[in-house]
Amino acid sequence: MGEFKVVGKRVERVDVRAKVTGGAVYAADVQLAGMLYGKIVRCYDYAHARVTSLDLSEAAKCKGVIKVLGPKDVTQKEYNASVLDMMVSANMRGVLGDIDDQSIFTDHVKHYGDAIAAVIATSEEAAERAAEKIKVTYEELPVYLTAEAAKQPDALQFRPEKPGNLAFELPEMAFPDNAYAWGDVEDSFAEADIIVEDSFYVPKQKQCQMEPGSYIALYDDQQRLNCWTSTQMPKLVQKKLANLYELPMTRVKIHATVIGGGFGARLGMVLEPETCALAMAVPGRPVKLLSTREEDWVTSPSRHPGKYWMKMGFKKDGTPVACDAKFENYKGAYYVDASGTAFTTGAWLGGMYKFDSLRYRGESYYTNQSICGAFRGYGNPQTNFVMEQMVDRGCAELGVDPIEWRKKWHKTVGDDGWCIGVPYNSCALDECLDRAAEAIGWTEKREKYKNQTGVKRRGIGVAVMNHTSGAMPMLLEHTVCDVLLHQDATATINLACSDMGQGSHTTLRQVAAETLGFSYDDVHIATGDTDAAGFDIGAHASRTLYVGGGAVKQACEDVKRQLFDRAALELEEDVSNLYMEDKIIHVKGASNKSISVQTIADQGVNNFMNPENGELIGQPGQIKGYASFFPPHNAPPFGATIAEVEVDTETGEVKVIELVNAHDVGKAIHPGVVEGQLDGGAQQGLGMALTEETYYDEKGICQNNSFTDYKMFGPSDMPKMTNILVENPDPTGPFGAKGVGEAGIVPPVGATANAIFNAIGVQILEAPITPEKILKALEEKDANS
Amino acid sequence: MKKHTITLTVNGEERDLIVSSNRTLLDALRDDLGFTDTKYGCGTGECGACTVLVDGTTSINGCLTLAATMDGKSITTAAGLARDGNLHPVQQAFIDNDAIQCGFCTPGMVLKAVSILDENPNPTEAEIRHGLEGSICRCTGYTKIVEAVQDASNRLSGVGE
Amino acid sequence: MTSRVMREFDLLLPESVSEAITLLATHKDKAAVLAGGTDLLVALKFDYDIDNVISLALVPGLNNLSFDTKLGLTIGARVTIADILRSDDVKKHYPALWQAAKVFATPQLRNTATVLGNILRASPAGDCSLALYALGGTLILENTSGRREVNLDDFWLSYGVTARKDDELAVSLQVPAPSAGQKSAFRRMTRVTEDLSKLNAAVNLQMDGDKCTGARVVMGCVGPTLVRLPKVEGLLTGAIITPNFLEGISNIVGSEIKPIDDIRSSAEYRLKVAGVLVKRVIKQALNEGNDQ
Repeated sequence: MGEFKVVGKRVERVDVRAKVTGGAVYAADVQLAGMLYGKIVRCYDYAHARVTSLDLSEAAKCKGVIKVLGPKDVTQKEYNASVLDMMVSANMRGVLGDIDDQSIFTDHVKHYGDAIAAVIATSEEAAERAAEKIKVTYEELPVYLTAEAAKQPDALQFRPEKPGNLAFELPEMAFPDNAYAWGDVEDSFAEADIIVEDSFYVPKQKQCQMEPGSYIALYDDQQRLNCWTSTQMPKLVQKKLANLYELPMTRVKIHATVIGGGFGARLGMVLEPETCALAMAVPGRPVKLLSTREEDWVTSPSRHPGKYWMKMGFKKDGTPVACDAKFENYKGAYYVDASGTAFTTGAWLGGMYKFDSLRYRGESYYTNQSICGAFRGYGNPQTNFVMEQMVDRGCAELGVDPIEWRKKWHKTVGDDGWCIGVPYNSCALDECLDRAAEAIGWTEKREKYKNQTGVKRRGIGVAVMNHTSGAMPMLLEHTVCDVLLHQDATATINLACSDMGQGSHTTLRQVAAETLGFSYDDVHIATGDTDAAGFDIGAHASRTLYVGGGAVKQACEDVKRQLFDRAALELEEDVSNLYMEDKIIHVKGASNKSISVQTIADQGVNNFMNPENGELIGQPGQIKGYASFFPPHNAPPFGATIAEVEVDTETGEVKVIELVNAHDVGKAIHPGVVEGQLDGGAQQGLGMALTEETYYDEKGICQNNSFTDYKMFGPSDMPKMTNILVENPDPTGPFGAKGVGEAGIVPPVGATANAIFNAIGVQILEAPITPEKILKALEEKDANS
Repeated sequence: MKKHTITLTVNGEERDLIVSSNRTLLDALRDDLGFTDTKYGCGTGECGACTVLVDGTTSINGCLTLAATMDGKSITTAAGLARDGNLHPVQQAFIDNDAIQCGFCTPGMVLKAVSILDENPNPTEAEIRHGLEGSICRCTGYTKIVEAVQDASNRLSGVGE
Repeated sequence: MTSRVMREFDLLLPESVSEAITLLATHKDKAAVLAGGTDLLVALKFDYDIDNVISLALVPGLNNLSFDTKLGLTIGARVTIADILRSDDVKKHYPALWQAAKVFATPQLRNTATVLGNILRASPAGDCSLALYALGGTLILENTSGRREVNLDDFWLSYGVTARKDDELAVSLQVPAPSAGQKSAFRRMTRVTEDLSKLNAAVNLQMDGDKCTGARVVMGCVGPTLVRLPKVEGLLTGAIITPNFLEGISNIVGSEIKPIDDIRSSAEYRLKVAGVLVKRVIKQALNEGNDQ
């Protein structure tokens, strides 16, 4: 591939100047004339209860109150905040098993923080004080926090459509025997010399994006429903709200504000339905709804926790013959995303190694926990924790080096990817493993840490992962982009892709500039307005650069084609004889024949007649490029992490010493952006492995929905980080790029667990791996030896 | 409830305002004075998104400060760091080191960096990390933020110029 | 669950200690005193309802942090954790307190939170409180009838409850002057670096060469209040501290504490590692603050 002028460069990101001065406008920063404030009354006394009485009268009398709303005062329509139903064909919707089981306010509380009623007032303070005056009485119901509890025959049924509280299992119609599978696992296990098997727990990790849920809605004088939100998916939320409030899309507008972190927590709708419900009650007045941190915690989705059982069989020579697995996740109170993660958790498992046979079952059970949904990795971190520990246990029993085994048995180009029938088209995982091993000194350290006896013991572990760039072919992948060429030969790229901070608007601008042959400064990315932008699925599945970038590239190529067509006419040459350099289109081999892009662009807009001959000067019409882009593939990113840890065997405390992340990124459009994704992903991966879990007491009361009680790795906890970007261009990605938004979180999870295994010789089956669990495991190990 | 008339000097500009007893400095800055660069992230002093500097470079949490106790104080928010359109060296270092992603923590983080470097112009990496505790970033893993503070330290002390 | 906007209260801003105690005498339990406010404001955002908040912001004379070789250390009511951290005297003569201040909360909170506030909070996890418990101290309380002194040993009555009367203002804390051979240290365990302690320990040892001639050993997060470990103190007194001796000490710590399960850890774990922490904090004291 030739030299790039903009792609691959560490250009200044489009958004950072506004962010570093504090000028960036997040939803909470938007101030509108006549603003009212909403406060939702939530149930924090019970996780499962029926509302037996609701008295709004005292609240209505409070100072500053405009309206008090109970369940009957808002739309009675049920909805599903997830957007998966909009990503599949009509005949696939049955496969998803989607049901609409959420309502704006409920009389059946199903989780800590469920919404009961709301107040609209002239100030935040007035709304808060009035909300305290709403009197609710409850009848307590039995609480089901786990799949095991929810599936008991006598358990109260969450929804009549979902017997046994089984919200979702892989459906027979698409997955025979309710399994994502190939081969016959029973037959294959019969051939195994070594079988490893265990049951794991993966935690309810929270995205903890820094911006708490903040929304404004206004049903305006044109009878249009406006919503200011930091959603990752403006166009799908627009359609979802249009459906819920029975409005045409022309009467719903999403004002997509700067996103203070997403990681999945802003995927689909969160509190947009509620905010709009309040706004519909006071037409003409904007209503602002600001969550506390604790409220955001229990009203936005988390990672799917649950029991994850796995069994692997190997031949003596290391051949992986069979893998059997089942993930029973604790779905939470509502259906949202019950199907997606239950499937993909197995897809990532299936996409990793060349087992002769594999069978994965995924089941989602309703529980009285807050909802689960998308969180960076979408099932992959869960699988990594389990799969990679099982592989290392197998390697230990086989007596083989974990890196050598992985290099030999990971799937690669031509093998079925995470979706059976869609083979991988690029893979540089071997190079990732080799370079990571060299960077950290794998061989020497594995040897060195073999027979330690001291209080503090070092360990080093590896994990690998496969992921995806966009959700094709499981889900719709589509981005519309149009490019307006201005008369001064600069261009505005108009599309709906959102940037959660990962830098996608920067990389999209780089793709546009490179494709157009313009400078980075000549291009502007315009987003955030669903009136103006065409369709886009939204920021999820590591897709924005791959699919959005594909759309930008195609639309810019359309501009370029038009420029060349016009140049050909003006220069009276064949298009194939032209080339462009520094925004001048030249005729090959004729240095005196050229026309500037500026001239073509200007003549297109300011098109005049030549008074001498009555002919138009140049070609008329402002040039606009367009693409409605469906990607041909899902350009799989691969990655490896090697972690080094030190375990204090007297206290069980773990210190992460170093992390080396080597990722096959295709092409790093902006290396700083890619490194940032790997760094940030690692912080979240380490958190899942070691400290992060939202949990409940036996009554279902959330115990740690705050930064005081839920602990993430801070600046002093983060280890030395080394990122290795392996550039192996994907044939389908824009300039070879793959998506890296999620890749970074995945392998640190397994690598950390395996490093601990290496240090202390025992595996911890429940994440997060706390000192408490390590000490217990060490004691059990001592007792058994 | 008592109202208090106070004068705050925010980013060098004197502002008179009347606040209720229960008004936090954060709310006064954001809602009364329009300094929305100061963010609400948790409300309980854990995340540092509401960090402002008081009377020079002392960092505090705006969410845990009553506005009425700040009469006569001088407050610096991120919006006040740039001078005549020129970014503060710390801000420029954050940009140049890709230390900004979603940006929600950035105003507080940049102010924190200013206070760290004011107290200790040549901090070690461990000292930078210790100083950054109390300012949560969920995007960057802190790596590039630490690098930015190191870079800013060099810029401010003239190293490499 | 917090509110975004605190409930109403009146903020009173006395300009002298006498004015402050007059206000306290008037409002008694209907008033809360705000020095740093980092605990009080969080409480007010939860469901703590109080009519009056008496701020010490304008009260002069409470910022005193001074050291005297005879009188020891005086810590005024508005002395912050950051003030402690900046004091070379504290670093030199009271390493346990300095070490606690160093890891206390966050820089922003250290700039605001006061040492006396930490004591008055009566949390069984308070880091600075624990260090001061080891070092010993006398709290000076003042009301309209005058001043009285309460030894820290008698100050914490139960979780969140102290010997301070409703009308009393804690004006300062007096920490005794260190004697020759005094060695102190503070050490804690947390889930991540910035966290409330899940277990903390502090010691103040009187050393005569290798021999320990007196000891105060205290722990946090193992009961409703900070606790002393009298058996451990008794064993230490008169002992030559060897590694084997420390292992022995380590094994009896569990018999002196009654930890519970909570968000940050379990009773079982705390019982298991408390001895390790005590062993390590003693080593730390003897190594003049160096880790291990």
